[in-house]
Amino acid sequence: MDLFSGLIHGFSVALTPMNLLFGFLGAVIGTIIGILPGLGPLGTMALLLSLTYGFDPTAGMILFAGIYFGAMYGGSTTSILLNIPGEAASVVTCIEGYQMARRGRAGAALAVAAIGSFVAGTISLIGLSFLAPTLANAALKFGPAEYFTVALVGLVIMSRLTGGNLLRSLMMIALGLALGTVGMETVAGYMRYTFGQPLLAQGIDFLPVAMGLFGISEVLVTAEEPAGNMQLQKVRFRELWPTLVEWKRSFWPIIRGSFIGFFVGLVPGPSPVISTMVSYSVESKLDKSGEFGKGAIEGVAGPEAANNAAVGAAYVPLMALGIPFTPAMAVVMAVLLIHGINPGPLLMTEKPDLFWGVIASMYIGNFMLLVFNLPLVGVFASIIRTPLYLLMPIVLLLCLVGVYSVNNSMLDIWLMTGFGLLGYLLRRLKYDLAPLVLALVLGPMMERSFREAMMISRGDLSIFLNRPISGTILLVGAIVLAAPLLISWIKPLISRKG
Amino acid sequence: MKIGSVVFAGLILAVGLVYEIMALNMPRGRLSYPGPGLFPMIIGIFLIVMALGCLLQEILPRKRTGDGPPALPLPNPNSAAPGDRNVKKTFQLMALMIGYTLALKTLGFLISICAFLVVAIRIFGYRRWVPALAMAAVIAGISYVSFVLWLKVPLPLGILEEVLG
Repeated sequence: MDLFSGLIHGFSVALTPMNLLFGFLGAVIGTIIGILPGLGPLGTMALLLSLTYGFDPTAGMILFAGIYFGAMYGGSTTSILLNIPGEAASVVTCIEGYQMARRGRAGAALAVAAIGSFVAGTISLIGLSFLAPTLANAALKFGPAEYFTVALVGLVIMSRLTGGNLLRSLMMIALGLALGTVGMETVAGYMRYTFGQPLLAQGIDFLPVAMGLFGISEVLVTAEEPAGNMQLQKVRFRELWPTLVEWKRSFWPIIRGSFIGFFVGLVPGPSPVISTMVSYSVESKLDKSGEFGKGAIEGVAGPEAANNAAVGAAYVPLMALGIPFTPAMAVVMAVLLIHGINPGPLLMTEKPDLFWGVIASMYIGNFMLLVFNLPLVGVFASIIRTPLYLLMPIVLLLCLVGVYSVNNSMLDIWLMTGFGLLGYLLRRLKYDLAPLVLALVLGPMMERSFREAMMISRGDLSIFLNRPISGTILLVGAIVLAAPLLISWIKPLISRKG
Repeated sequence: MKIGSVVFAGLILAVGLVYEIMALNMPRGRLSYPGPGLFPMIIGIFLIVMALGCLLQEILPRKRTGDGPPALPLPNPNSAAPGDRNVKKTFQLMALMIGYTLALKTLGFLISICAFLVVAIRIFGYRRWVPALAMAAVIAGISYVSFVLWLKVPLPLGILEEVLG
């Protein structure tokens, strides 16, 4: 199936009433959780993961795509109106967006954020439509050595890009990989780290870990914060239209943000967050007006476009290779895994309904988000008034019931509670959770690929270097890891010469 | 030096050592035919080295402030100063979740979740008992109908098994 017939087939799947409903539901839920501080798209998807067990996998994927895109739209609303980022990818928008709101240009900021998100979302979906099938076809040539190196280098790159401390990120990766080895080993059926508990033979399931680390810990952190006093600004519909000058100033930042977001989105790590920072830095460096920090519309247009583009791009490695590069994509992959579907290069040919249906639904969802986000911005913003004493216990309830419902296992509740506490501690100690989760997901695949590669090469480790694709990927990983060290050595030498 | 970070890195180091000892007791096979212990052995060494690195990094005086990208002037109104945090609530919520899990089999979902919600609503700052009880009962009822009756999640019914079952 070529690209255009694939997309036409995808639209025929996405436009069925049930899939449209799931797309709409995802967009609404995503916008709401994007607005509400304390519950991000990742936590919500982890929360709803158990419910997708009862749905068709295509519907589950469409729901999650809507949530992920919707959260990016919703997050900007409270950033602009209240200076409260609904989720991490909207933190940067606060800087210029709130200043614009204080100058009475909240409507223009919201409109530019929504339209920029739509344009960037569409550009990234076009990129996804072209790139995912091409990459999937190329990935058919991948063997175990290539899969191992892609996962390994992906983890290495992520540890460098999460912005935190490298050693800490690598320790989290090691911990995640170690957790991934718990349970019955697949080749010889050997029990590892189960401590005689038969329930652990299946291994540590991703669901209680994700719900604990992202759902429970989020509630625990929110519980500790003192309640704020929020002054919500009113925005009238007629104020939503930016002036001609504002349009002109936003055009190129949106285009630049779209491409920055798409390319950052292809890189492992929390790409929507990183893309907003990169876009903001680029726009502030290009600024000639001196308005940055005082409400420059470019500082809203660029980052808001970038985070949406990064979401579309994050689907590329998952749909083409079956390898999630972000924690959110790991949750999306879990939707497929609980239905017994292994994502990878064969997904496009074996499950065309799902592959193309999900991509097509993203185009529709992106359009839906633009249509209902702008006129209903006031309604959505008022959601932030939901009292925490009602919202947080409901989130906990959904976690407790959701985690039990998949395997009907009390062990999963205990695991979720334990990982909730671990997630809370890690957040408080400023550790990044993403490397731990991704390493847990990628660990079993890495071990399988490593063992297969070793058997193929009869124990020759040079297989990872000798195969062209695998060797190139390893070289890229080595450069990424060594580049900051080299730069820190070279910089003083250059400055001394100068 | 942050004592919390030192303790955590030390704890992970201890976990790494136990993990590695257990890995060394597993059959490792040969490199050409790896056994179940080979990969955990490599991961164990990696975990120990990284935990040791983190521990030393926390203990030894730092030359630099950090190795991440330069920080943007980001507002973070969600994060209170450490002194303003109410850590007691975290312990209360953790105890509540453990209590719920322990009571689930015996008392059943409906009673356990109702009690859980009342206490959780109060932990999150709502102080009046009667409205809290009413809210908890309504949410528990809706969740029972949605999950047990509609979605057929086999949540334990406990002492209400004969009445509801």
